[in-house]
Amino acid sequence: MTGTIHKSQIQKVFNQNEAYLSLIIVAYSILVTSLNPSFLSFENLLDLGKSSASMGIMAIGVFVVLLSGGIDMSFTAIAISGQYIAANVLIASGVDNIYFAFLISCLVGLSLGAVNGLIISYFKIPTFIATLGTLNVFHGILLTVVGTKAVNSAQLPDCFKKFGATNVFTVVKPEGGSYGLSIFTVIFIAVALLTWFILTYTQLGRGIYAIGGDMEAAKRSGMNVFNIQFFIYCYVGILAGIAGVLHVSLIRYSNPTYLVGSELSVIAPVVLGGTRITGGSGTVIGTILGVAMITLLNNSLILIGLSSFWQEFFTGVIVAISVSLSSYQIRKSMMI
Amino acid sequence: MAEDFLKIQNVSKLYSGVQALDNVSMSIGQGEVHCLVGENGSGKSTLIKIIAGVVTPDGGEIIVRGKSYKNLRPIDSINEGIQVIYQDLSLFPNLSVAENISLNQLIEEKKKIINWKEVKNIASSVLSTIKKELDLNEKVENISIANKQLVAICRALLRNAKLIIMDEPTTAITKKEIDKLLSVILDLKESGISTLFVSHKLSEVLQIAEKVTVLRDGKKVGDYNAGELDYDTLSFYMSGKKIDHSVFDYQERADQKTLLEVKDLSKKGQFEDISFKLRPGEIVGMIGSLGSGRTEVALSLFGLNKPDSGSIYMNGEPVKINSPRKAISLGLCYLPEDRLNQGLFLKQSIQNNVVVTNLRKILTKSKLLNYSKKYEYAKMWVDELNINVPSLEIAVQALSGGNQQRVVIAKWLATDPKVFILDSPTVGIDVNSKSNIHNLIRQLAKKGIGVIMISDEVPEIVHNCNRILVMADGRIIQEVDTVDITEDKLFDLVSSNSKNSEG
Ligand SMILES: Nc1ncnc2c1ncn2[C@@H]1O[C@H](COP(=O)(O)OP(=O)(O)OP(=O)(O)O)[C@@H](O)[C@H]1O
Ligand SMILES: [Mg+2]
Repeated sequence: MTGTIHKSQIQKVFNQNEAYLSLIIVAYSILVTSLNPSFLSFENLLDLGKSSASMGIMAIGVFVVLLSGGIDMSFTAIAISGQYIAANVLIASGVDNIYFAFLISCLVGLSLGAVNGLIISYFKIPTFIATLGTLNVFHGILLTVVGTKAVNSAQLPDCFKKFGATNVFTVVKPEGGSYGLSIFTVIFIAVALLTWFILTYTQLGRGIYAIGGDMEAAKRSGMNVFNIQFFIYCYVGILAGIAGVLHVSLIRYSNPTYLVGSELSVIAPVVLGGTRITGGSGTVIGTILGVAMITLLNNSLILIGLSSFWQEFFTGVIVAISVSLSSYQIRKSMMI
Repeated sequence: MAEDFLKIQNVSKLYSGVQALDNVSMSIGQGEVHCLVGENGSGKSTLIKIIAGVVTPDGGEIIVRGKSYKNLRPIDSINEGIQVIYQDLSLFPNLSVAENISLNQLIEEKKKIINWKEVKNIASSVLSTIKKELDLNEKVENISIANKQLVAICRALLRNAKLIIMDEPTTAITKKEIDKLLSVILDLKESGISTLFVSHKLSEVLQIAEKVTVLRDGKKVGDYNAGELDYDTLSFYMSGKKIDHSVFDYQERADQKTLLEVKDLSKKGQFEDISFKLRPGEIVGMIGSLGSGRTEVALSLFGLNKPDSGSIYMNGEPVKINSPRKAISLGLCYLPEDRLNQGLFLKQSIQNNVVVTNLRKILTKSKLLNYSKKYEYAKMWVDELNINVPSLEIAVQALSGGNQQRVVIAKWLATDPKVFILDSPTVGIDVNSKSNIHNLIRQLAKKGIGVIMISDEVPEIVHNCNRILVMADGRIIQEVDTVDITEDKLFDLVSSNSKNSEG
């Protein structure tokens, strides 16, 4: 039927959320650069790549959960738990090794993620409620059992600081000082690539799309929905663990009350990147673009000289607009 | 015949007060084409879901090739070679046609890594067995209901399937595609694959079945050889009643003005020069195969498909219908072809579904919902249409197909329409409910509503309409009074003109 073909063609153009977003990013960068020329410098871009990596990795995790039709509100508590426990264990044991820090943080992330996974797939509690609950439980346990005292820069093991300063390549500026491509950015890209591979080329990844599309249909086609959900929450946990280590290495300070409360600013770029909040649809590229857009926005507002309160305002506005646009498209495509 | 492939013994299932299945036993032999029939709500889909391992029975045993399962899981059933086409299709709307078709095979083969070339190859090779082409990359949510059904059918035709179960797979697809499917079933039979087939199209059942099992109210009425049945006995076994063969007798009144007039309505690529008139009390049939433009015309009348040119008159006044809201305010209503997606809020209660089109009538003075009024209003329509439900609070999803259709009709009647457009109103509805719905439609016409009934079933049109518009390739190729045509002639007219109109 010609009608159907016509409609699908329009949709192929319209669903190019990513193309739009890239255009907006480019246009916005030009605008900001015209106001403040230092913005589009190579140095600033590399710097953005570094400072956004930890948020980006968490966003990838959130993206995977949203794709499956769920939501995770507890990943910030997991990230801060991993980070804070790792820092404390390193201090207590005297082992000053970043791999060890990653190992501990990821193990913490994996275990807490597994708790989420079990609660959600075993007791079949709605993901929002389950993870909102565990957010508080995880954070509460961290504060009461592990402690509330921040680890300051002087106490923080050297490996974190060294790791935070590691560049894959370095450019020395003629006027002195240097900048480079941070290992953070490389880790972020590696996580994105791995996630893309899992989602695109493994049965497990397709299962994630499938349960996001129709959970009942996934069960009927013999998929092990339990395992898939369990995997998702463990995966998010591990990513949160990685992000936690990046975060402390960046700011050289570990405060167990940090991160928790910033869930929405990580969910925002994912939604902005075109991931459907009802599940089943979204891409890694879209998420990366979303992270880029939000980072850009936050950074540019500072460069322009607006207070950081405006960041929250603009983030909110942008997310509201992008969610409305995408639900408008969905409605249009369903006609009624 | 060799050993039975599948045996079901004393299976029962109770759903919150409804005994969906009561001690049912049946068996399916190897290479057998077995049909399961029964009225809406008699438990057919429930039985199928139990065989698929999706629903756990309260008691009983499922024996596949001699192996007894107490707790059959979907994956066990799939590993035994049982593939199901579910009544609600159970496709993944967000995945491509290719992936939907090949997913089952990949799961079956326990593939860990996806090879996208293979995904496409599987899909196109299965599609070729039913001689059909579809855009493999299109997401399933964007394709028509008929094509969705074809995707669901293809998905079940796997290389190692031993039993293919089809729960009303042919409600939306064209006659030609049904014939192809039936010939595929016969091919499958040749290679020893069994089929369990659910359909309300009894002629289809009698055409291909060897064995027929009849269910009524969750109990088995009996197993029959297809040879010993004919249409009337079969429908008698199903309902325990003789079906009503009466036809619509239209009393023309000379003074009647035209209610709705459509003049030269055209939309590029969909339909051209559509002109017709509808008087109060008439039932005008619009017949034509899928893709003939009938649904598109109906959508235009309901404000959902803007025509390029042409005009529409209500009671002689020219009107512009650019939204369903406008259409409803003019007294038009539309029962969609795809009732599950477009006609109902499946997860909402029966009550909410009935009142949704007419919330105005159940408001208090301060414009808030009056709950007792809401209940009474819904109850009135449910009683009026004889909808058999345990409670108005249960979700529409849990109703049988026939009752769901009645809820949609109730919802529209509540708007007090002058023109009622019904697109395929009895698709998936059992013979008895079908004649009830036909009676209901005739009563509406008697009350002075003008009805447009779209269908591709010749008998349905001939028995219920006083005038028939035959459509093909987006045009009305003939307009006849029903008294001037026979079923055979109409059938020839429709099928000889459906060659270019594929979905
Ligand atoms: N999930 C459920 N919850 C409650 N009741 C249910 C559920 N599923 C089915 N039922 C009830 O069980 C009975 C049998 O339903 P089933 O879907 O098996 O009928 P069917 O024979 O397939 O009908 P149809 O021809 O309309 O598809 C019906 O009364 C139905 O309302
Ligand atoms: Mg059914």
